[in-house]
Amino acid sequence: VRPLLASAEAVARRLWPPFALSVLLVVTWALVDAFGDVVYLDTAVRMLLTLIVVLGLQIFSGNSGVLSFGHVAFMAIGAYVSALLTIPPDIKKFTYLTMPDWLSYWIFPAELSPLEATLAGAGFAMAFAIITAPPIVRLAGVQAGIGTLALLVIVYIFNLQTTSITRGTSTQIGVPKTTTFLSVLVWALIFIAVAFAFQQSRRGLRLRASRENERAARSVGVSVPVERAIAWVLSGFVVGVAGALYGHYFPTFSPGDFYFNQGFNIVLLSIAMLVVGGMTSVTGAVVGCYFITVVYEVFRRWEVNGLADVKPPSGTANFVLAVILLLTLALRPKGITGGREVPWPGDWRLPRWRGRLGASKPVPAAESRREAGTAATD
Amino acid sequence: LAQAIQYTIDSIAFGSLFAVMALGLALLFNVMGLMNFAYGELIMAGAYVMFFTRSWGWGAMIVMTILVVTVLALLMELVAFRPFRNASPVTLLITSFAVSYGLQQLAWTDVFGLAHVFGSTIGTGPQKGVEPYPFLTSQYNISGVLVSWLTILTIVVTVVLLGAMVLLLKKTTLGIQLRASTEDFRMAQLVGVKANWVISAAFAITGLLAGAVAILYILRTGQVAPDIGQGPLFVAFVGGVIGGLGSLPGAALGGFVLGMLINILEASLPILLKSHTQLFAFVAVIAILVFIPEGLVAIRGGLIRRWWRSWRRPVAAEGAEA
Repeated sequence: VRPLLASAEAVARRLWPPFALSVLLVVTWALVDAFGDVVYLDTAVRMLLTLIVVLGLQIFSGNSGVLSFGHVAFMAIGAYVSALLTIPPDIKKFTYLTMPDWLSYWIFPAELSPLEATLAGAGFAMAFAIITAPPIVRLAGVQAGIGTLALLVIVYIFNLQTTSITRGTSTQIGVPKTTTFLSVLVWALIFIAVAFAFQQSRRGLRLRASRENERAARSVGVSVPVERAIAWVLSGFVVGVAGALYGHYFPTFSPGDFYFNQGFNIVLLSIAMLVVGGMTSVTGAVVGCYFITVVYEVFRRWEVNGLADVKPPSGTANFVLAVILLLTLALRPKGITGGREVPWPGDWRLPRWRGRLGASKPVPAAESRREAGTAATD
Repeated sequence: LAQAIQYTIDSIAFGSLFAVMALGLALLFNVMGLMNFAYGELIMAGAYVMFFTRSWGWGAMIVMTILVVTVLALLMELVAFRPFRNASPVTLLITSFAVSYGLQQLAWTDVFGLAHVFGSTIGTGPQKGVEPYPFLTSQYNISGVLVSWLTILTIVVTVVLLGAMVLLLKKTTLGIQLRASTEDFRMAQLVGVKANWVISAAFAITGLLAGAVAILYILRTGQVAPDIGQGPLFVAFVGGVIGGLGSLPGAALGGFVLGMLINILEASLPILLKSHTQLFAFVAVIAILVFIPEGLVAIRGGLIRRWWRSWRRPVAAEGAEA
């Protein structure tokens, strides 16, 4: 019985972090759905949408250690493709007058269901990821940052200037608002599982090994470009879904939504969330998302409503966001979670200065080393 | 012909602005591995200073602008970048991103009640800010070529600045220390170059350059807005990458050529292509990064050989240590 129990515990240990995170999301959903007003609902949907972007970013940047500013480009593609395929044909005929024939022939009659459109949008984002993978995976460090930023700018300028397909700066008309709180929740839950499965998979392990020490990883036969490309494409799909959902929740989006927008800067927001939470773990992505959302909202409400006759100037919340990011980088560069996953309940300890909770049961050295994710290469 | 000459002069003026900017970017990139996105915000700050001091006469305005921008650059180093002295270039990249964003947001809010003091709603939206001086923008007809004082002034000032930079880098102790630090920062420290001093000096120089660029750039249009720095930053940065951020002359040349090209293309291309000019510039950035990470200056050092090597050792990350 004992070995059986032990193996059951091993399985449970593995499934624990995604399970715990999913419970957190579901509880949030239930609370907001039951007690929240419209404002809370909006904030929660926004948070979950951003969470999906952050999860996509985590799949690539977190596991490979390569920073990406460009993932929001996938979001733009997902949103535009999905919107084009769901706007009722009667409206499309009048809003896309200049669309070239070879495109309108396919696009005008299309009227997909929300799910199909989401998958189509994400599929196109994934295709774009496949095209862009060969150059991007060869870059590292600052060059990767610049390269992915260039990618973001390319997609932004394309969306802005190709008015015949995207309507340029004009907002969309007639996009059905089909994204619900529940559907965003379901996708977020799926992607938590996906991000986790990828991280634990053989490919994820190889990629993490290359993050810790690229030369060592290559010396044991890891093809770093291939592993990076796979993560890049997978994250492209994930972020593409986020984009499609975004498009159907804020139906009047425009190219600025997927760029350095003044009000809701999703590029900076998603990177800040990932860095603040802790890049290397899925838990970090979720914690960062919650933390930033809560702080941001607190300051935004304070701006609007004031507290004890004190009202910070509008825009303080955005400024605070930058300050938080800087402070995190300076004081806790590995993020709030330190890059660890939710610990198994049996391993919970009090903070160091209070002594250990279960002092009689020390964590085996091998265990903690495996958690660090570097055992493979060391 | 007269028109062609006019375009050329305009483009040279436009391009030389970005040469100066790219030089500032490259200096920081080489000394401390920092790709400073917040550079655009220095220009934005300059624009605001010009707006607030516009009634003080042009002499005071220029002095104040350069002073404030330089001080801001030094402050930026002290507050935001000093804690990250030994951090990885990627951390620095995120940091500069956050600084840039923070400063921009600060400009959108009406901090310090500036709006009330000056009786206008600065920061709540883009607006016409600095009235261009008529004697600068009015154009003179020299045998068919229309030239404004601003164009001539831009060219003269940038040439002087670039010349001063060359002198500074080649002849002074500080310049030698700076160049040593761009070659190998750790080694420079070992032989007695003070890290704080060199980095502060680099920031001060970039601040000076940014101040000058801000004045010349803002006088062209007179527009003042929190995100005014983004456009010139991207051009300078793309030009710098294409020319080669690893070398100071390469970056300056890249900025100059790209600035010129943009000005020429904007004037000559059909509308459809014109709107996509920037798109091609950024495609070129990715291509350069992948194939010739050192930038186009690498052509001198045997392009084919370098290309072949970088292809065979794809992720050797030459830039990661820089």
